[in-house]
Amino acid sequence: MPDDPYRVLGLEPRASAEQVERAYRFCVELYAEGSLALYSLLEPNAAEAQRALVREAYETLSDPQRRREYDASRGLLPPEGPLLAFPAPAVAASAELPAELSGPELRRLREARGLSLRQIAAVTKIGVRFLEYIEEDRLALLPPPVYLRGFLQEYGRLLGLDPRALADAYLAHVK
Amino acid sequence: MALSVSELLPAASLVRRQIWSVGGGKGGIGKSLLTASIGWQLARMGRRVVLVDADLGGANLHTCLGLPASGRTLADFIQRRVGSIEDVVIETGQPGLRLISGAADLLSAANIKHLQKVRVMNHIRALDVDMVLIDLGAGTSFNSLDFFLLSDVSILAVVPEPTSIENGYRFIKSALYRRLRAVAAREDVRELVEAALDPKNAEGIKTPLDLLARVEARDREAAEPLRREMAVFQPRFVVNEVRDVGDVAIGHQLVAACARHLGLRASYAGFVHHDDAVWQSVRRRRLFMADAPTSRAAEEIRQLTRGLVKGESLGPGY
Repeated sequence: MPDDPYRVLGLEPRASAEQVERAYRFCVELYAEGSLALYSLLEPNAAEAQRALVREAYETLSDPQRRREYDASRGLLPPEGPLLAFPAPAVAASAELPAELSGPELRRLREARGLSLRQIAAVTKIGVRFLEYIEEDRLALLPPPVYLRGFLQEYGRLLGLDPRALADAYLAHVK
Repeated sequence: MALSVSELLPAASLVRRQIWSVGGGKGGIGKSLLTASIGWQLARMGRRVVLVDADLGGANLHTCLGLPASGRTLADFIQRRVGSIEDVVIETGQPGLRLISGAADLLSAANIKHLQKVRVMNHIRALDVDMVLIDLGAGTSFNSLDFFLLSDVSILAVVPEPTSIENGYRFIKSALYRRLRAVAAREDVRELVEAALDPKNAEGIKTPLDLLARVEARDREAAEPLRREMAVFQPRFVVNEVRDVGDVAIGHQLVAACARHLGLRASYAGFVHHDDAVWQSVRRRRLFMADAPTSRAAEEIRQLTRGLVKGESLGPGY
């Protein structure tokens, strides 16, 4: 019996494709050669074995066909119902977002999720420059509110937070 | 029906004060500054706080707070030169924040006897305050490990450097094995725990998970208390002196590594950026929380402290 790929990547069986992607990237960094977080903990050959497990798990879960086959073989439900919110629900505390959020506070929320501005820019197509203006509270350089709201919602979605609540909180801060 | 004694006591006296400790194994990673600044913030949030400098070999918590070396220190209490632990508690100038200074002069105190330690801990627990924060010394002396294990919240500070990560893991394993040894009922299990402490042990035990498997192979029941201790051992990582997003991610990776390879449920309490404002304040012998309240580090300490109070941690990192 091969290792449970969900377990290897640290995922729930109903994880979305996007979650699989992020968990995989997390594991690749964790077990990368010279990984600081593993220093003195794993022997080089043990880390190599983990890398192989991670690759194998990803190959199973990233291919819809193979994933369905695996789920069926384990009696797991096919992932047709609503998938888990992205990212994991542990950080989706949108109900608890404060009424106002400053740029630096947004930055901290982002960094706590291990996201770089470049990553956000790559997905949302918002320029890194604008994201920086937002996080630095450089009000004079921000786009008009109607665009800004759109940017903020995209940003919030990527952080796994309620996009509307996040946009409201930042707009309340800059008003 | 007669009331029991406990029912007659005021409710407040039944609420046990929280004891937090800050350890990390390695010197120079900012344990004292973290302790001082978290304590300072807790006091700002209205808690009555006492900081304890348990770094008995190299005490300098007072310096972090901008105070001169104190005439009265924890050593005076340990050596019974004063009657009560209250006699060595000094004011810091910040309302709600007081300090029990460590002694730099008393090298022998760095390995105080177990009974003395228990006495210190009991008296600390009896202090009339809301929170006690203990700054542990560097290294994995039994003092540091025991205070760490006796705390309600055990904070493990690391910086993103191999030496610190290595010492952090060593500290975790040493503390855990000390605890496991204490709960092992059988002599042969205790011997296995002791063997595990040596990284080159003949049993081939490299991690607590290996140890657990080895004990289970002998006797399922004997492994149960060990399993329980591992479940309640929950160090909270703080990554200090981060410089970029990659450094921030180290905390998430440490938590994942602890779960996967040590079988421990650690959490990521927060991070503090490397910040020139901090050392500028240190040079001025002032705490940056008061001296540079708008600095990034000060804001991060406020966030970190609020999270610790609520028992929150940063998400899984993916």
